[in-house]
Amino acid sequence: MKRFILAFIAAYIFIFLWGWLLNGVLLKDIYVQTPNLWRSQDEMMSLFHWIIIGQALIVFAFVMIYASGFAAGGVIAGIRLGVLLEIAAIGMRMGFYAVQPIPGNLLFYGSLSGVIEMIIVGAIVGGIYKPAAARTS
Amino acid sequence: MNWTKFFIAFIAAFGFMFLFGFLWYAKLMNGAHQEVPILWRTPADFGNHFSSLVFGHIVMALFLTLLCARFVPAGGAGPCATLGLLVALVYAGANMITFAVQPLTTKILCGWIVGDLIQFTIAGAIIGALYKAAPAHVSFVKEGPRQGV
Repeated sequence: MKRFILAFIAAYIFIFLWGWLLNGVLLKDIYVQTPNLWRSQDEMMSLFHWIIIGQALIVFAFVMIYASGFAAGGVIAGIRLGVLLEIAAIGMRMGFYAVQPIPGNLLFYGSLSGVIEMIIVGAIVGGIYKPAAARTS
Repeated sequence: MNWTKFFIAFIAAFGFMFLFGFLWYAKLMNGAHQEVPILWRTPADFGNHFSSLVFGHIVMALFLTLLCARFVPAGGAGPCATLGLLVALVYAGANMITFAVQPLTTKILCGWIVGDLIQFTIAGAIIGALYKAAPAHVSFVKEGPRQGV
C-alpha cells in the first residue's frame, strides 16, 4: 500500500508538471488558433479543480491496472502498459477529431506528447511499485 | 497468443463499441450536444472526417483487446470487465480535464463519463468471454487398457 501511494504521488506530480508545460507553454500558440473551442483563462481557473481531480483519476486508474496485472514486470511492464493505454487514447482522440474542429497539428502533438507522457508515467510507476511477494523474496 | 480468438474478440469489441458509440453519443446525447453547437463540426464536415471516427474505434478496440490479452491471458468476462472499468476511469479523468478547458455542460460531462464506463466495461466483458490464450504446451498421454474392459 505504501508503494502504491508513493507511485501514485510521483506519477501525479509528473503528470501535473507535464500537463502545465505542454498545454500551458508549448502548445499555447496552437490553442490560440481555435479560441471558440476553449474556455477563457478566468473560466478555466475557476474550474481548475476538475483538472486536478481528472489527473488524479488517470494516475489512480493507471496504478490500479499496473498493480493488479502488470506489477511483476517492473519498469518495462509499466512502459508497455503506458503505451497500450495511450494508443487506445489516441483512438479516442481521433474520435473527438472527427466531431470537433480541432486543428490537425493539435491532434498530432497531443498524441505524440501523450505517448511520451505515458511512457514516463509507466516507468515511474514500474520503478516504484513492487508487489509484496517480489519485495519479500 | 491465440491469434484466431484474438481477432474474433477484436472484431466483436469493435462492432460493439461502434454501435454503442452511435446509440449513446450520437443519438441519446444529441440534445445535450446541441446545447453547445459551436464545439462540433457541421454534418458535411463530419462526413469528411468520418474515416477518423472509424479508424479511432478500430485503434481503441484493438488496443483494449491487446491489453486484455496481456492482463488476463486466461480470459474470462469478469476479470476483463474489471480491466475495462479501470480503463474507462482513465478516460473519465481525461473527460474531466476536457470539461475544465472546453465549454462543455455538466450534462455532457456526466453523459461521457457514464458512456465510457458502460462502453469499456461491456467491451472488456465481450473480449474476456471470447479470448483465451493458447495453452503453452499440449502433452499427449497414451491411454492404457482399462480394467474390466
